Amino acid sequence: MDELTREFLIESQEGLDRMERCMTDLEERPQDAGLIGDIFRSVHTIKGTTGFLGFKRLEKLAHAGENLLGLLRENKLTANEPIITGLLQLLDGLRLILKTIEGEDAEGEGDDTALIARLEELQQPAEAHVKKPAHAHAGGHAAKAAPPPAPPPVPVAPAAVAPASSGPVPVPAPAQPAEPVPAAASAPKEPESEAARPRTQGSAAESSLRVDVTVLNRMMNLVGELVLTRNQILQATSTDPNMTLLSRRLDMVTADLRESVMKARMQPVSNIFSKMPRIVRDLSQSLGRRVRLEVEGQDTELDKSLLEAIKDPLTHAVRNSLDHGIEPPDVRQAAGKNPEGMLKLRAAQEGSHVIIEVSDDGAGIAVEKVRQKAIERGLITPERAAHLAERELLQLIFLPGFSTASAVTNVSGRGVGMDVVRTNVEKIGGKVEIDSRTGKGTTLRLRIPLTLAIIPALIVRSVNQSFALPQGALSELVHVPPGQAATAIEWIENAPLYRLRGKLLPLVFLDRLLMPGVEHKIATERDNFIAVLDADGRRFGLVVDGLADPEEIVVKPLSAVLKDIGLFSGATVLGNADLALILDPGSIAMKTGVTMREEEASQMADSETDDGKGLEYLLVEAAGRQAAVPLTEVLRIEQLPLSRIEYIGYRPVLNFEGQLLPVEDSGGVLAAAQADPEAQIIVVVCREGNRHVGIAVSHVLDVAAGGDLFEAGTAQRTGGVTLLKNRVTGVVDLGGVAPLPAGEVVAAEWSHVGEAVV
Amino acid sequence: MSTSAVAVHRKDKAAAALVEMCSVRLGSTLFGVPITHILEIVGSARPQPVPLAPVFVGGLVHYRGDVLTTVSLRQLLGMPPKEGPQDLLVLESSGGNFGLLVDSVGEVLTVSSADHEPNPSILDERRRALFAGAYKLKDSLMVMLDPEQLDPMRLGAVLAA
Repeated sequence: MDELTREFLIESQEGLDRMERCMTDLEERPQDAGLIGDIFRSVHTIKGTTGFLGFKRLEKLAHAGENLLGLLRENKLTANEPIITGLLQLLDGLRLILKTIEGEDAEGEGDDTALIARLEELQQPAEAHVKKPAHAHAGGHAAKAAPPPAPPPVPVAPAAVAPASSGPVPVPAPAQPAEPVPAAASAPKEPESEAARPRTQGSAAESSLRVDVTVLNRMMNLVGELVLTRNQILQATSTDPNMTLLSRRLDMVTADLRESVMKARMQPVSNIFSKMPRIVRDLSQSLGRRVRLEVEGQDTELDKSLLEAIKDPLTHAVRNSLDHGIEPPDVRQAAGKNPEGMLKLRAAQEGSHVIIEVSDDGAGIAVEKVRQKAIERGLITPERAAHLAERELLQLIFLPGFSTASAVTNVSGRGVGMDVVRTNVEKIGGKVEIDSRTGKGTTLRLRIPLTLAIIPALIVRSVNQSFALPQGALSELVHVPPGQAATAIEWIENAPLYRLRGKLLPLVFLDRLLMPGVEHKIATERDNFIAVLDADGRRFGLVVDGLADPEEIVVKPLSAVLKDIGLFSGATVLGNADLALILDPGSIAMKTGVTMREEEASQMADSETDDGKGLEYLLVEAAGRQAAVPLTEVLRIEQLPLSRIEYIGYRPVLNFEGQLLPVEDSGGVLAAAQADPEAQIIVVVCREGNRHVGIAVSHVLDVAAGGDLFEAGTAQRTGGVTLLKNRVTGVVDLGGVAPLPAGEVVAAEWSHVGEAVV
Repeated sequence: MSTSAVAVHRKDKAAAALVEMCSVRLGSTLFGVPITHILEIVGSARPQPVPLAPVFVGGLVHYRGDVLTTVSLRQLLGMPPKEGPQDLLVLESSGGNFGLLVDSVGEVLTVSSADHEPNPSILDERRRALFAGAYKLKDSLMVMLDPEQLDPMRLGAVLAA
């Protein structure tokens, strides 16, 4: 039995259980529209899915039931005794077929005509009312007599029926030839007998427990509360040595608990991916395309509610790719492509996000046409359109007005309902990105947060208040020391800019943004911090007054009145029990008119398509040599005076907030700087297993994606080096940093960040 | 005072429904909020201000795991802000829970629906939209506040119009 069928069975069983509960209530409250609606939905769902799976007998029966229920729902009929009897018989009939399917993977050859006839008869209001007594009896008997004939073929049939009935159901099997069927598959294949059947039904459910999502949601909320309380306790007890051990323990337990609650809500994306082969198959047949589907990263897990939420957008994206992306075989051949198009579904976890990609090698989107159409439809002014980078132009297809234009769909390749895709994904805090190369294909990328509720954030200060800045959008922090603000921040008319590694970065002053109409001066006498943010490729620096600790924050929704302000995506409670608003970098960029720079956009597209899979590295220079540090391991970058470095024997160490950090100096940076007592050095603080180590470097150059290198001849992947910006660069071996002498308590907890400097 | 009032009403107007109102003081005016809509009363709350929020928003407060938007009655009525702490009523409305910031919360009074009168016509339009009539007490008037009318979402719509 394939995944799809099994899921259908579980779902249908649940639907029927619900229906049964409703039926008993319906007898007492025959007018209750809610109950009728529920029953209708159960049967309707079965009918809908059944048609899809090709269970004709089940579909017929469910259809008859649905018709009757439809009349009840529209108040054309009132549920009376015979109707309820009829519906209960329908319930039994459906159960019976489902059982057969679970046992044999086929619906068996029972005869439902009597039951169907009975259900149809009940649809006649006049008859049902006028000849109520007579019919109730005759029909009741006829129908009651009907199901019994059905069971007999079931126990006898298995052997005989299976081959015969495999006719109508061959579809699921070839559709997913590669689907490995997990252990549960063995259960339904047990030799069947009437007595064994109920047990079989149980065994499919035994390995897992179905929990009401509301319970899980409540657990998640409570865990969120616990996380907040833990944060507060950690802060309150940080000075009390007696409490340290206890609060550490609380910290650990909380983290574990949080993880397991989150895990309980996790489901593999294969749950929705597995539905795609069929859709692709059916659609490509009806559209006359030849398409090969490739699926990658099926095991990637995602919160259940998020998974549900992306089901429709993903289906939509797949349809779009087939409908508008991949060309018909002859067109492809003429263009010199493989007549068989390729559709690729990829899921992968990247940090706190899961990336789901739908990419095709179709015609791509004609950017110029998008531009024209957007102007035509008044979605954008010609002046503005002229300034938009290609990547930004592509984003226009997500505008609501765009999708209704069928002409656009035909010429540009896509557009139907893309706004719906985006709305759905953004509703769950995700993002949609699109990349397209004319003639080469299109990639739609859904970036979904791992969990809705808890995100890492940096707490920043402005207008005497704390705000939370989601780490996901934060690419780096720049410290502007006192007295330097006037020179570091440059102006073109009234546009503030900062030179970041030689490139101008537009700046947004958070205080000016939050309190317009008040005169703001740049406080040069104190520290200023620039948080370099990347909101969908729109890079800008957010100038804040101060930085506080990074924290795991629990996102609490804001009321609509405050959401309408358009700068905040939620609120949270900080460790010190203060409330903080969560800043939304995307909206800030939008509000302040930050757009993407042409070159950055193209660079970005390049790096994403060329080495999209490569790890990102921090490129550093130590005493003239370049080296790479895996970015995922980098915690922070410290600039400090050389005098801060102390020595245990010959080992350089950094005493940071009372915790010792071994400093690796294989580049000889410390030695080289010794001559100048005023020298400033840079220490890259990295995570290595459970401990933290520092690496002394002379400059931090850039962040770049690394490419894999393979040894000539053996084609084996090489370790310790990577291809960065087309140069072979050595990767710093963090594991090779010798541990501090035994007995030392090495800093394992780095919950504090002072000034991070690049 | 409240007990004697109850006694009088019971005798005179047994048919009239009795309502328990939490009295709230703001400046010189006495307001009343039906206690059935009050989830909690928090003394000297310090709501977190929200930049760029509509003027009637008094800020955010943390209430049992939720972040609630509060409505400042003073700001809503265009009164100058009060120095020092204010009391907070956590109210329940169909649109969700929210907070109401008032100067101080007083005792619970039992009033009779027979003593209720609709908003007088000379009240300005804004107040007519916010108040739900008044109860005639023995020696003063108590303006009734209906949480449904003070829901921040509704206020956003009403005051924008």
